Amino acid sequence: MKKILLPVDGSDNSQRAVEAAIGQAKGSSEPVEIHLLNVQAPIISGDVKMFIAEDQIKAYYHDEGIKALAKARAALDAAGIAYAFHIGVGPIAETIAAYAKEKGCGQVVMGARGLGSLTGLLLGSVTTKVAHLVDVPVTLVK
Amino acid sequence: MIEWLNNPQTWTGLMQIVIADILLSGDNALVIALACRSLPAHQQKRAIVFGGAAAIGLRVMLTAVAVYLLTLPFLKVVGGLLLLWIAVKLLLPEEGHGDGIQGGGNMWGAIKTIVLADLVMSVDNVLAVAGAAHGDIALLVIGLLLSIPLIIYGSTMILKLIARFPLIVTLGAAMLGYIGGEMLVGDVRVAPWVEAHAPMLHSLVPILGAILVVAFGKLFAAKPAAKVVDLAADEQQAH
Repeated sequence: MKKILLPVDGSDNSQRAVEAAIGQAKGSSEPVEIHLLNVQAPIISGDVKMFIAEDQIKAYYHDEGIKALAKARAALDAAGIAYAFHIGVGPIAETIAAYAKEKGCGQVVMGARGLGSLTGLLLGSVTTKVAHLVDVPVTLVK
Repeated sequence: MIEWLNNPQTWTGLMQIVIADILLSGDNALVIALACRSLPAHQQKRAIVFGGAAAIGLRVMLTAVAVYLLTLPFLKVVGGLLLLWIAVKLLLPEEGHGDGIQGGGNMWGAIKTIVLADLVMSVDNVLAVAGAAHGDIALLVIGLLLSIPLIIYGSTMILKLIARFPLIVTLGAAMLGYIGGEMLVGDVRVAPWVEAHAPMLHSLVPILGAILVVAFGKLFAAKPAAKVVDLAADEQQAH
């Protein structure tokens, strides 16, 4: 059994990573287990938490995650590939790395650049960070 | 007017105000989004408009009060210190606990939450803008007007950007530290003393403020721990 972690953010680049993972799953001789993941940046500060109930905050992250996953799920469903999907909350790259470990994934497939290509160019990308943090192969899809 | 436009202080002040607005309005925008999200669509718009209008009214009053207070002896020292603290706090990871007061399922509950939250959370913004404006009323008004669309429509894009690129926050915090330092030496009672005894403090203290803030922030900022939380754990479909 081969396990692939597929972190997406809903961008076109990450959608290309989904297509690549589908191709890989179809061409593989052994069964492939795909873990689709969206990580929500922890944008809700302690100040905001004073005013908004915990379940509202969780529901917000959940909805944003479902939105970000929608395109990838549609593509996987259309291709008839089985997958599990997850919505994480935390620092993006670190959380992706933690998931890779937790789910025992032997490979990470992700878009070479997600949302914000210009800022990514200037300040380093999530992808680069993930590649540093995990000790399994990371496939970057352009 | 021409003189005002030609004064470089006008433009640095304006730039500082824009950055402070962007950096410190995100939370307010988020509360509006979160407080309204469970309302039916037609009530959502009304809650945003009413809540936003009330919040803006409050902000105008708060700013007027802040500007007046900052002219009193030694209160700029207090304001400067407060701003330094706000800047350091920007850099610290916050794990705040989430037993927030209930937004309530109805429109008035949402409006109440928006107004109350804005009252508490715009203190930082008001203080930063008041400090950066250096008593220039035109700049103050521009700063206030600018923060309004950021609060109402600024949505969460800015916060997401900030979460991804912590460097933005570090630079912003340094700027707030600089403004805080300026306030310290700009106090009506402190300024004459500085002028007479140590004029170089005038430019030194703001720079020191910026450095101190970043140093403190780096010292206490623990790396955020990544936990495996799965909000979609309950809805896995079996294929």
